[in-house]
Amino acid sequence: MYVLGVESSCDETSVAVVKDGREVLSNVVLSQIDIHKEYGGVVPEIASREHVKGVSMVFDQAIKQAGLRYEDIGLVAVTNGPGLIGSLLIGVNAAKVVAMNYGIPLIGVHHIAGHIYANNLERPIEFPCLALVVSGGHTELDLMNGHFDFVKLGETQDDAVGEAYDKIGRVLDLPYPGGPVVDKLSAIGKDSYHFPRPMIDSPDYNFSFSGLKSHVINLHHNMTQRNEPIIKEDFCRSFQEAVTDVLCQKTKRAAHEYAVKQVIVAGGVAANRGLRAKMALTITDIPVYFPAMKYCTDNAAMIAAAGYFKFAKTGVADDLFLNGDSRLALN
Amino acid sequence: MTKSSKTLFVDTATKSVLLALVIDGVVTDLVCQEGQNNHSVTILPLLDDLLKRQNIALRDLTELIVGIGPGSYTGVRIGVSIAKMIGYLNDIPVRTVSSLALLASSASAGTVVGFIDARRENAFMACYDITDDVMTERVADTLENVEAFQTRIPKPYQIVSAGIPDVLKILRSHLTFPVPDIHALVPNYLQVTEAEHNKKASA
Ligand SMILES: [Zn+2]
Repeated sequence: MYVLGVESSCDETSVAVVKDGREVLSNVVLSQIDIHKEYGGVVPEIASREHVKGVSMVFDQAIKQAGLRYEDIGLVAVTNGPGLIGSLLIGVNAAKVVAMNYGIPLIGVHHIAGHIYANNLERPIEFPCLALVVSGGHTELDLMNGHFDFVKLGETQDDAVGEAYDKIGRVLDLPYPGGPVVDKLSAIGKDSYHFPRPMIDSPDYNFSFSGLKSHVINLHHNMTQRNEPIIKEDFCRSFQEAVTDVLCQKTKRAAHEYAVKQVIVAGGVAANRGLRAKMALTITDIPVYFPAMKYCTDNAAMIAAAGYFKFAKTGVADDLFLNGDSRLALN
Repeated sequence: MTKSSKTLFVDTATKSVLLALVIDGVVTDLVCQEGQNNHSVTILPLLDDLLKRQNIALRDLTELIVGIGPGSYTGVRIGVSIAKMIGYLNDIPVRTVSSLALLASSASAGTVVGFIDARRENAFMACYDITDDVMTERVADTLENVEAFQTRIPKPYQIVSAGIPDVLKILRSHLTFPVPDIHALVPNYLQVTEAEHNKKASA
């Protein structure tokens, strides 16, 4: 079955065609990053305006690149949350028009489920499976005992990992978005500051990054006041080591406690090379998988893949009353 | 048999969702439903119902006329997104109309101001003269202080901020404009975003 995926929850307008939840026929992503860069972060009203500007063109490119007609599509899967409400509504309504126009079943997909299913585009997910979701908006560990069966083991109590990365990038005056730049500089820096590893030994699977973030900001501020030289690479490396230590240790413990067959990492921060390397060194007895780099950031192929399995499991389509929900829960 | 013309009107920039179907010059169906920030939920079910009542499909439409604002940013984007998709998928011509003209069209005659509150004593406004069931634009869409606007228009005038649009009056008037490239269609917001404004101010 060909699934048309639609994603517009933040600052990328994306439409994809994926066959049977695995084979990507097209995945068009219209990114607004160059626009929001000017503002040091995503401006919701600008994001909404850009979505409406680009929406129909992205659909057209996706269907053409797939070499299909809309009549060939068996399911329309669209991100219905969480995310920026004004952005979500553009994708949801455009998807509803396609479903209505051609009488195709429509299904709303949770954005995080999409990130998790980005892994399925590489190889089929095997259960039980532990998913570490790390992005600008999310940091959580989910246990999956089957398709579309999510049990949240823990999540961040404050900032998401990606959010903390971007903040550190701003403090160090690095270009937006900070995450990839911090990762890059880390590779040539030293862990000379030994920042705290928040909640690394807590018995639960929750996370907290705002204390660490403040710690880094305060040190940077104090050193600047004292005119001490700031070695950005070392700041980046020290921060990254602290973050990835926590993520890897907690993921390892959960993977063993629940005796999972595989660990998958998902979300924008899954593109982080430091995290990829450390996870491979930390968990050696269970396979750890990351999505291809191009499927780590927001894209519609992952939404199509997730929609395929959600529909296969539930058999229930959504109706034309489907709405965007900025705080949609995963389960 | 010549193919009949089927024109669909869509507007979501005001408090109400407007859908109207004009077949060969006759308004055969019209929905003007007030909502509470939920146009995104209601518009397509309402459209689906309308099409089923009239026993036609989206692909049977010969023309689409969409209100492109000004008005509620979130609201107008819903109507414009839907119009873009319907126009694109079915390759039918799309025309735009001011959402304020649609509002004003409900008045029968005289000098009429289409009015959408924009807070802080500002409003989206446009002024039209209505005679013989035809509208002509006197003052184009604007976002400004309400009192300042009122000094620019001749008395007496009528302010219209709600009502059922007279879509035939719109069709008789020269107030709709063809969209040459459906993919390039965007709402008429009448103002840049606050972020862009602040950036310009600080530059
Ligand atoms: Zn995401």
